[in-house]
Amino acid sequence: MNGNSSWRKYSWHLIDGGPQPPAMHMALDEVLTRYVGAGKRPPTLRFWRWSAPAVILGRFQSVRNEVDEETAGQLGIQVVRRMTGGGAMFVEPDNAITYSIYTPPELVAGISSVGSYAFFDEWVIEALRSLGIDAWYEPINDITSSNGKIGGAAQARKPGAVLHHVTMSYEMDAAKMLRVLRIGQEKVSDKAIQSVEKRVGPLRHQTQLPREEIIQRMISTFAKRNTEGGLVEDSIAPEELAEAKELERTRYGTREWTYLIP
Amino acid sequence: MHGEYKTPGGKLVMADLDVRDGKLKDVEVSGDFFLEPPEALSGITGALEDAPANLAEEEFAGRVRDALSPNVEMIGFSAEAVARAVKRALA
Repeated sequence: MNGNSSWRKYSWHLIDGGPQPPAMHMALDEVLTRYVGAGKRPPTLRFWRWSAPAVILGRFQSVRNEVDEETAGQLGIQVVRRMTGGGAMFVEPDNAITYSIYTPPELVAGISSVGSYAFFDEWVIEALRSLGIDAWYEPINDITSSNGKIGGAAQARKPGAVLHHVTMSYEMDAAKMLRVLRIGQEKVSDKAIQSVEKRVGPLRHQTQLPREEIIQRMISTFAKRNTEGGLVEDSIAPEELAEAKELERTRYGTREWTYLIP
Repeated sequence: MHGEYKTPGGKLVMADLDVRDGKLKDVEVSGDFFLEPPEALSGITGALEDAPANLAEEEFAGRVRDALSPNVEMIGFSAEAVARAVKRALA
């Protein structure tokens, strides 16, 4: 199957808005997935801008097993839980590149769940390589390089829509990450390189390019490869924003949700 | 009690639990795995809660498998991986 042709059937919209607090991003992902599922929003690519440092836990992770909460508190790092599975991410506003893809499930019809991870990020690998960055996909859900892991993806499947989102490290304070996240030896037991510090391979280790330039190359690569007439510039609609704020208040910003698995 | 098992090439499963009167209590299964639908997690923990602590690994796996409906998709882990994390917690 030609990967590009299925993307090009849709008129893709682009949201690249201002910074949002971590819990609001979690809420926006759920609302925008729901809107695409209901046919109220076209398939969309969204770049996230972070307003605060955060640890983002996967849907099924335990707070106490993953985070040193005391250190996180001292460093002003919020802990939030996202709607998708996968592992904890530590982000600081200018150090990460995060994006979401909201699409009808037909885009990945006939592709296995595991196979769809690599499919969703083919354009990212292409964009990074076009900048001279060595990168490839390591199943199930890692974007990696010979210098270490660049980022990770996660997905959720909802009625009428699939959410695929990714956080990549641009820069990484590995020492700080290791103070905040608890990463045991079992997690890296099947990896050749067992030092967590050496397993992280932020983009900045491979390129002098500013983060913004990498994002712009990603956007232009997506437009060229995955669309017929380019990306349609869009923004979060007022009703989407209102629903997300409500969901931030009632779920993603609550202690109850964050400590769903204590 | 705490046990962990990482499926090679897959994801990490953690089991946190207590044993009272020879039975598993307050079972929590967590990790960086993927599970659809997400609500199926309570089916996994429910299958282990109150299970006799002296079961064999395959028996724990069987309990987890039997509790999940066929539409549940486990990505990067399995009922066997959960059972191994439980056995390691009990070890």
